[in-house]
Amino acid sequence: MMESLLQTLLNGAATGGVYALVALGYTLIFSVLGVINFAQGALFSLGGYATYLLMGGRIGVNGAWPGLGLPVALPFTLALLVAALVTALASLLVERLAFAPLRRRGAEPLQSLITSLGAGVVLVNLLQILMGAEGYAFPAGAEALAGLPDMLILAGARIRTIQVLLLAICAGAVVLLSLWLERSRSGKALRAVAEDFTTARLLGIDSDAMVRLAFALSGVLAGLGGGLVGLSVSLTGPYFGISYGLKGLAVLVLGGLGSVPGAIAGGLLMGLAEALVPADASGWREALAFAILFAVLLLRPGGLLGRIQPDKV
Amino acid sequence: MIDNGLLVQMLLGALLGLSVYLPLAAGQLSLATPAFYAIGGTLAALLSTRWALLGGGADGSLPLPSLLLELLLAALLTGVLAALVGGLVLRLRGIYLAIATIALVEIVRVAILNLPFTGGAVGIFGIPQPFADASGYLLPVLGLLILAGWLCQRLEALPLGQAMAAVRDDELAAECLGIDTTQVKLSAFVLSAVLAGSTGVLAAHFLNTWNARQGTFDVSVATLAFVILGGSRTWLGPVFGGMLLTALPELLRPVGDARLVLFGLVILLGPVLAPQGLITPALLERLGSLGRGAGR
Repeated sequence: MMESLLQTLLNGAATGGVYALVALGYTLIFSVLGVINFAQGALFSLGGYATYLLMGGRIGVNGAWPGLGLPVALPFTLALLVAALVTALASLLVERLAFAPLRRRGAEPLQSLITSLGAGVVLVNLLQILMGAEGYAFPAGAEALAGLPDMLILAGARIRTIQVLLLAICAGAVVLLSLWLERSRSGKALRAVAEDFTTARLLGIDSDAMVRLAFALSGVLAGLGGGLVGLSVSLTGPYFGISYGLKGLAVLVLGGLGSVPGAIAGGLLMGLAEALVPADASGWREALAFAILFAVLLLRPGGLLGRIQPDKV
Repeated sequence: MIDNGLLVQMLLGALLGLSVYLPLAAGQLSLATPAFYAIGGTLAALLSTRWALLGGGADGSLPLPSLLLELLLAALLTGVLAALVGGLVLRLRGIYLAIATIALVEIVRVAILNLPFTGGAVGIFGIPQPFADASGYLLPVLGLLILAGWLCQRLEALPLGQAMAAVRDDELAAECLGIDTTQVKLSAFVLSAVLAGSTGVLAAHFLNTWNARQGTFDVSVATLAFVILGGSRTWLGPVFGGMLLTALPELLRPVGDARLVLFGLVILLGPVLAPQGLITPALLERLGSLGRGAGR
């Protein structure tokens, strides 16, 4: 009993770590531009499929070119990093197509919710046409991670190495990001732009470059998340990232829009809450995040660690 | 090329477009239309297959008054639900409405999939038919569309419609003018929900089967594309967009697989290339003066 509870909690924390990555991706862009990038979930999918293909995975029977694959077979860690680079570039493309033209025109921020949703829908459906709707497991041997065993024994419980690794990588990414935001020169510049777009520009900070930086970083987070989920759970069709993206929105509201610690705490809480849903109600698990979202809106609209910012005139 | 069945689908698309248009006319991005559409359809499917009082015959027929009763009940249910959800969300900034309505669509989808009486993944089938064939549906669907269009047209002259336009153009300014902006946004949201719910009732009978796939995130995207293509400055925009984008994938078969790519491109590029959509008030004015010129 103890053993299974520990496993459940660790599973929940691992999923929660991924939710935190998604929510942080939203938070980076929200704090700079005050809008949500609805394409985040699709970038997450792209990260998973890019990792799969870079590891030597082939397109399945329902894809556009069955049996075709990249002429490379990278080890998982390397594939994950290259995939994160791919999603960073894709995220920059999303900024270029869905955000930059509207920002230049001074359009309503609401408009970029619509355009980024469009970018995400195009991306995920192109993936669907290319790869088919079928599920993919990562190539055999992927689990043999740098000589680590498949299972670890922790306090008498058998735990999948990948879960621990996933949590460690999420934690590492979060810590690095926070340190960078707090300490580095460009991190400070990014926070200055987040505080006040125009003033930062007057102070000589290249605001547009900072916006691109925020998109590239959130793309990296999406790529890491997608690749890690692909390895630990498998890819369940191109829409798997959308599902993480939607739950990331609930996490965002739970933690408080624009709050970095809120995104992390909200992600972990959400992952644990889902893991504790009993097996005979598992069909309802998908709705739990959104039920929590409404509860938060009812009880504490600013989120756990956020505050509602009044609109500026 | 366009048979009666497709024409009914196009009109249903126009109705869903109007449902997305109404909150947008008050500057609010709501993606909840599929949730209320799914609730309306599920209600109709449940009532007409389970409730003997409605008189669903063994031959699969349904008396017309029963259809009207379903419409009334669906409008009531979705209206109350929208008032509850909207009351929770609409005092916050616009982004919260977009997020909360996505959440609502997911909750309703999971509920329809998991509730013990909605038929699970298969759904409810053999829904009784109030009309003998597709052409019979033209009249009620067109009737609902005319009613909704008339309402939208009337709104432009009524205080509520003018307040909606004021909130869309500048919410803070509208508030300073003494407009109860939350109330205005809520009214638009409830109207949108009632329209989507009623459309769901007609769609459930027309389609003959109903399941959780009728109200998904994809439908949010499709219905949003209707409005972005047609334009949200006049109610004719979403009607045009809904009819065109419903017909297009059916008429161009090869597009079938890629229809969501098409919808995605519309909402990615639309706000950049044609911020007002294809049907703008200026265009209507030009058409109007052309018509007068020809008549003279």
